[in-house]
Amino acid sequence: MFRFVAKRLLEIIPILFLVTILIFLFVHLIPGDPARLVAGTDATIEDVEVVRKELGLDKPLHIQYFTYMGNLLQGDFGTSLKTKRPVIEEIGSRFMPTFWLTFWSMVWAVIVGLLIGAISATKRNKWQDYLGMFGAVSGLSLPSFWLGLMLIQLFAVTLGWLPTGGLDSWKSYILPAFTLGTGVAAVIARFTRSSLMDVLKEDYIRTGRSKGLTERKIVWGHGLRNAMIPVVTMTGLQFGFLLGGSVVIETVFSWPGLGKLLIDSVSYRDYPIIQTEMLLFAVEFILINLVVDLLYGILNPQIRYE
Amino acid sequence: MKKIYSFIFVLVLMLALVLSACSEDSGNEGAEETEKAVKEGKDLVIAVADNFTSMDPHDTNDTLSYSAQKTMLEGLVGFDKDMKVIPVLAEEYAANDEATEFTFKLRQNVTFHDGTPFNAEAVKVNIDRLADPNSGLKRHSLYSIVKETIVVDEYNLKVILSEPFGAMINTFAHPAAMMHSPKALEELGKEVARNPVGTGPFKFIEWKPGEGLEVTKNESYWKEGYPKVDKITFKPVSENGSRIAMLQAGEADFIYPVPTEQADSITGQGGIEVESKPSIVVRYMAMNTLKEPYNDIKVRQALNYAIDKEAFNKVVLNGHGKELDSIIAPNTQFYSKQETYDFNIEKAKDLLKEAGFVKGFKAKIWGANSSSALKAMEFLQQQLAQINVELEVVPMEAGTMSDKIWGVTDPKDAEIELYYGGWSPSTGDADWGIRPLLGGKEAFPPKSYNISYYENTEANALIESALQTADVDKRAAAYKDAQALLWNEAPWVFLSVDNTMAGKKNYLKGISLLPDGSLNIDELEIE
Amino acid sequence: MKELHLNKREEYMNLSLEIIKVKSPISEFWRKFKKQKLALFSFFFILFLIVLSIIGPYIVPYGTTEPDYKNILSGPSVKHWAGTDAYGRDIFSRIIAGTQISLFVGLVSVLLGAVGGTILGIISGYYGKWVDRVIMRICDVLLAFPGILLAIGIIAILGPGLGNVVIAVAIFSIPIFARIVRSSTLSVKSTLYVEATKSVGAKHKRIIWKHIFPGTVSSIIVYFTMRIGTAILTAASLSFLGLGAQPPSPEWGAMLSGGRDYLNTAPHVTFFPGMAIFVTVLAFNLLGDGLRDALDPKIEE
Repeated sequence: MFRFVAKRLLEIIPILFLVTILIFLFVHLIPGDPARLVAGTDATIEDVEVVRKELGLDKPLHIQYFTYMGNLLQGDFGTSLKTKRPVIEEIGSRFMPTFWLTFWSMVWAVIVGLLIGAISATKRNKWQDYLGMFGAVSGLSLPSFWLGLMLIQLFAVTLGWLPTGGLDSWKSYILPAFTLGTGVAAVIARFTRSSLMDVLKEDYIRTGRSKGLTERKIVWGHGLRNAMIPVVTMTGLQFGFLLGGSVVIETVFSWPGLGKLLIDSVSYRDYPIIQTEMLLFAVEFILINLVVDLLYGILNPQIRYE
Repeated sequence: MKKIYSFIFVLVLMLALVLSACSEDSGNEGAEETEKAVKEGKDLVIAVADNFTSMDPHDTNDTLSYSAQKTMLEGLVGFDKDMKVIPVLAEEYAANDEATEFTFKLRQNVTFHDGTPFNAEAVKVNIDRLADPNSGLKRHSLYSIVKETIVVDEYNLKVILSEPFGAMINTFAHPAAMMHSPKALEELGKEVARNPVGTGPFKFIEWKPGEGLEVTKNESYWKEGYPKVDKITFKPVSENGSRIAMLQAGEADFIYPVPTEQADSITGQGGIEVESKPSIVVRYMAMNTLKEPYNDIKVRQALNYAIDKEAFNKVVLNGHGKELDSIIAPNTQFYSKQETYDFNIEKAKDLLKEAGFVKGFKAKIWGANSSSALKAMEFLQQQLAQINVELEVVPMEAGTMSDKIWGVTDPKDAEIELYYGGWSPSTGDADWGIRPLLGGKEAFPPKSYNISYYENTEANALIESALQTADVDKRAAAYKDAQALLWNEAPWVFLSVDNTMAGKKNYLKGISLLPDGSLNIDELEIE
Repeated sequence: MKELHLNKREEYMNLSLEIIKVKSPISEFWRKFKKQKLALFSFFFILFLIVLSIIGPYIVPYGTTEPDYKNILSGPSVKHWAGTDAYGRDIFSRIIAGTQISLFVGLVSVLLGAVGGTILGIISGYYGKWVDRVIMRICDVLLAFPGILLAIGIIAILGPGLGNVVIAVAIFSIPIFARIVRSSTLSVKSTLYVEATKSVGAKHKRIIWKHIFPGTVSSIIVYFTMRIGTAILTAASLSFLGLGAQPPSPEWGAMLSGGRDYLNTAPHVTFFPGMAIFVTVLAFNLLGDGLRDALDPKIEE
């Protein structure tokens, strides 16, 4: 177990190294000249060259990479080309809004998803099941920008109950969290349903039934608890994915998050921001993957770590 | 059966959502024209389309950031609502006949927000910063011809140019020449981009990219009785529908731009007014005149005749624009009206035939990937199909486009055939509306914006001569000839002049968009 | 971006389900599948869509690219069942004609992703050891790479157009398929008959083709159907960002995002393409659900 963890942690280093090279190459491969974009539309060729030099973009690619890595190892992520603020500051101020939005989306999605999933599993092939699964799949099938714009019209403009967007108070979370969470809730519902259906056929559940426990106690007490295990695992993962920020939701709800920042940075070819943000995603993802692999082992002792 | 119910259930749910969305306009249309919205307090929210990039006007090249900066900083001269130059921090200004020396008499008793007095020395620090070739500032190019700035006395100074430049006063009216506090410049250096200190009606509080900018009333503003508003918050809201929703829900008092598609439907709703006024933004389709078949003037004119400009205005701009009738817009200085190319398919076909393209040809049109650019290009595709010119629409994301257009060093290598775009001459002067776009070899990419690769010695000479003097009549005459010549040569398909589109609650007065698309809040007040 | 994250979610859903180890004969499958009424219905609906996508362009009442500027943005009527769009084109006709394109995007992109992912997954699962580790770590990196950025990159390099949208969507399907196929491969490999064959001395290639691949097919099919919906939604999201199909293509996502500025004034412009996407994605998902239930031996009546 410890050997496994140590090994995986050690593996992270070459992966991250690989990731930095990949990201670096990718970012520089996309057509577009940041010097020209930074220098501005009316800049003369000389101005562009001044900017290029200032940004260090006149040097060969591998030198640029070494400079980048050197700074990175010293904890220097550079400054944004667009706003000239430190990258850490730019990304830092966007991280928490994305984090909390993800968090609240997950909270309601898990609760609703579990409920629908559990009801569907216990009422298999009855109308509750059909309705639940139909609802869940509907949640997966709606284009999110359309749903978001519709919700704004209904709850913010027509009814005036909730703000249209931005991040001002707890109310600001409701609509974007709902929109972001629909897909997640749908997945959790479907997942809980299959998982619970499997569990309900296990021997110990049958034993419980024969002992005369009420169906309710069996499902909500024993069954769901056991079926929860993989659900919890997946929930952790989804959290990780959503932490990357959602461009569409953030655009529709003017949310100051990481997804919008990434898109804006790409259209400006803001290399330092793109690189750092992608590195952040990679680290998040790798760490979560590791935790999940560990959880699999803890939950099911039959899985061995090689 | 059950599944059918559930299907119906979901369907009804969706319908309810849609209906709730459209019930809005059907209920309110026309009925509330006279309703007066009420504002509590004197704090305003303005929703804009994008993030600001900088608070340093010397290092800014987007109109949006300028709009925000103009609440805090001011220049020697500025523009009024018709793009005429007006004095701001300078009381008087003059130029010599050769357009090489410009003198300014400054306003007295003005102080920056940090208490530094505004005087000729402060102006010199700012102009020197802009003129420094090693500054790396985005707006250096506008002031690179400044040779020297001389402080005559406390409130008088003289700017000497290295060559004659007749449009220099307009260049000083450009927001790029707004004045920083020299103390702030010295202490903060490039950090002024995040902590602007000016002389304007509002003081900087906070700017969080992605969330917005806050400015507060400058109690000791030099203009008596102003500002009449306590605080302004700018919020970036990039999605059109969301921005409109903010105005409708009362979360914003002023928004821009209002998408032309929705302008008419929100007018009158809950005290909303939409101001749609002619801008100086021209829309055109540029043709690469070095390439077949666009090197033939007949083909270029044929394409001009083939486009129904009225339909363009109706379909693409939803009626919020007008036909372009010169290479610059009417609100640009020295504009002179031309005889338009009427929509005439037969004439277009004849011209193509004369040029040897009886069967038409295929072409690629490049443009931005925004929904409005896509819409315009799709329209052009439909129009040109009538004369058998088959367009392929190639939308490009900003970075790619700049590479494709300005990555070209040899004009012969340029891949570009047709380009849909727009231009806003930010100095409001004919020079900046013509020279960067059609000013011959000197303006070829990557140096400037002559995407048509249009070169005509006669036109070049006219553009040049207009810059050799500060005499308004001489300049007007030269630009008149230049416009007539270029119009006839048709290096573009001339399309439209956009309107500036702003939405506001009707309790706001004295706030509007200038023809260059920037925000003017000089007389802002709440009724 | 919601849609792009869903890919990954579904992967884990399927992964942890340790999907479907089946040997049930086709009749057994059909017996079970028939019982899934919603799935059956979806199956026929998808067949209908496929037929429509072939004959659609020939039966539409109006030309799909012909503008009619006198008749723009008119609401649904007898003449135009779904109204007209900003150029006065018949939306109903465009949706019918667009079936072909949206199905093409969904099917081809997922097919490409499935082929690439299956090859990688089988190699990874079958050979194990360092091969497995390298491939899986590469998949990690690919998964960690934001899908939308990948799409922007591909489109920036290859240019705009539907073909490149398909490639972009295909590429971010690869690691997901690779993971699913790998986990099925592992479970098939561990069953006795493969061990037995191996000891007899069969060639790797033969083992893979005769035993491993057939064992993974059912999980691939299930995931394939579910993923198509995601692919169609992803294409729509790319249109939202201005990276989707080129005009005048009647791709549903492009129609939906092009009409979003008329959400207040002419909701029918977005409603009908939105419904088309919704119903189609729904059908593929329900079919996938049904297939999973029918292919899963653990589920009895």
